[in-house]
Amino acid sequence: MPSSVVHVAFACMLAVGLLGRFYDRRALAIIVGIVLIPELDTALGWVMAGAHRTVLHNMVIPIVVGAVLYWETTREDSKIRSRWGVRGVRIAWVGLFVHTFAHIMLDWAHLSGINFFWPLRDQFFNLDGELAVSTTEGLVQTFVQLSADPETGQSVVDAGQGGTRADTHVANPAQPSADPEPGPIDRRFPIAVRGWQLYLVVVGAFTLVAKRFQTPRPSEIEGE
Amino acid sequence: MPPTLVNVAVGILLGVALLGAAFDRRSILVVGVAAAIPDLDAAISLLGIGATNATLHSIFVPIAAGMLLYYDTEIRENSWLKSNYGWYGARVAWVALAAYALAGIGLDLFSNEGVVILYPFSDRYYAVVGGFLLSTQEGVIQTYISFGDGWFELATPGTIETHHVETWTAPAGETRRLRLIDSGWQAVLVITAVVSVPAKYLIERQDRLAAGER
Repeated sequence: MPSSVVHVAFACMLAVGLLGRFYDRRALAIIVGIVLIPELDTALGWVMAGAHRTVLHNMVIPIVVGAVLYWETTREDSKIRSRWGVRGVRIAWVGLFVHTFAHIMLDWAHLSGINFFWPLRDQFFNLDGELAVSTTEGLVQTFVQLSADPETGQSVVDAGQGGTRADTHVANPAQPSADPEPGPIDRRFPIAVRGWQLYLVVVGAFTLVAKRFQTPRPSEIEGE
Repeated sequence: MPPTLVNVAVGILLGVALLGAAFDRRSILVVGVAAAIPDLDAAISLLGIGATNATLHSIFVPIAAGMLLYYDTEIRENSWLKSNYGWYGARVAWVALAAYALAGIGLDLFSNEGVVILYPFSDRYYAVVGGFLLSTQEGVIQTYISFGDGWFELATPGTIETHHVETWTAPAGETRRLRLIDSGWQAVLVITAVVSVPAKYLIERQDRLAAGER
């Protein structure tokens, strides 16, 4: 995974704008808590092989939660709305947004990726490729590659498929490798690796500071 | 440099985060364009002026713009910006400046190709690349900056004379190649930016209605 620090920074950057008038320290704390939840499947890795990046890192949860949240917040006697009001509804939606984009999507593009359709299907997917326009080749994209199998002639789709959860291990501090080697174990807790991860941390911090210094819109202009 | 599309995506994300009540179609467009402007120095370099990732990627451009903006909006008695565009104009200008500096220059600074951040006083490219992690065996590992002789150093791929940043306007070979997205994480940033704009639009509309009711 890009480290939790990177996820949190990106989540803060998104939450500052999307919380809108409900932005305050408490709402932000809830969002940060939500974006960290998927890391809990790291702990499951001790009892369930390959649980990390599988149980909570998939696209089924965002779709199911999104559907449930839509049903729950639009019905007449919504529990969230009656208990926490519009503020609760907003925080729930922003929480789903940061879970999907600041955590699951970022991990999709990192190392072996995520177990995309788990539990419907057990296969890791990794988002990697490039998109470019060139004078000799035209529009080129390598995120999803279609090719014909030279032997059978069938078309093959390569969207970054990997192994199943049984044979895919994504290194994490709790389990640095799938098969522990004898001798001292080197557990590594990444803060940021490579330029862009540190960049996201810097930009996330910047948005929080900038938001603090912003002056609210004067009320006389509001009446226009 | 990372592709300009990714600069724009980060600029849009900054705009969504910081425009607040000034968020609308026009302001988000201004902020997105501001994030793309630094990459124009690739085109300017064809005229023999400056170099790619140097002329408009200099830290002194946003500093000068920031000083001008501060003078106009805070010190001057009759601010040109405020008298013409009001609070909206000042907010959009500040966020656009942040997009220029952070999304336009910053993203390139944190990539392998680097930026001549002190141009024109220095012609050396600097890049903030490396890693920062805690290891139970090796302690703190930090390779973004190295310390030597009481001064810190950044990685540098070379100077304007020795380092060529390849762009579609100045290709290394025969093929011109306009890169849009280089890798998975850049795709995620672009997708997130595309989704966050309609989300912010709905949120601002809701917040505006609520403000009207009060």
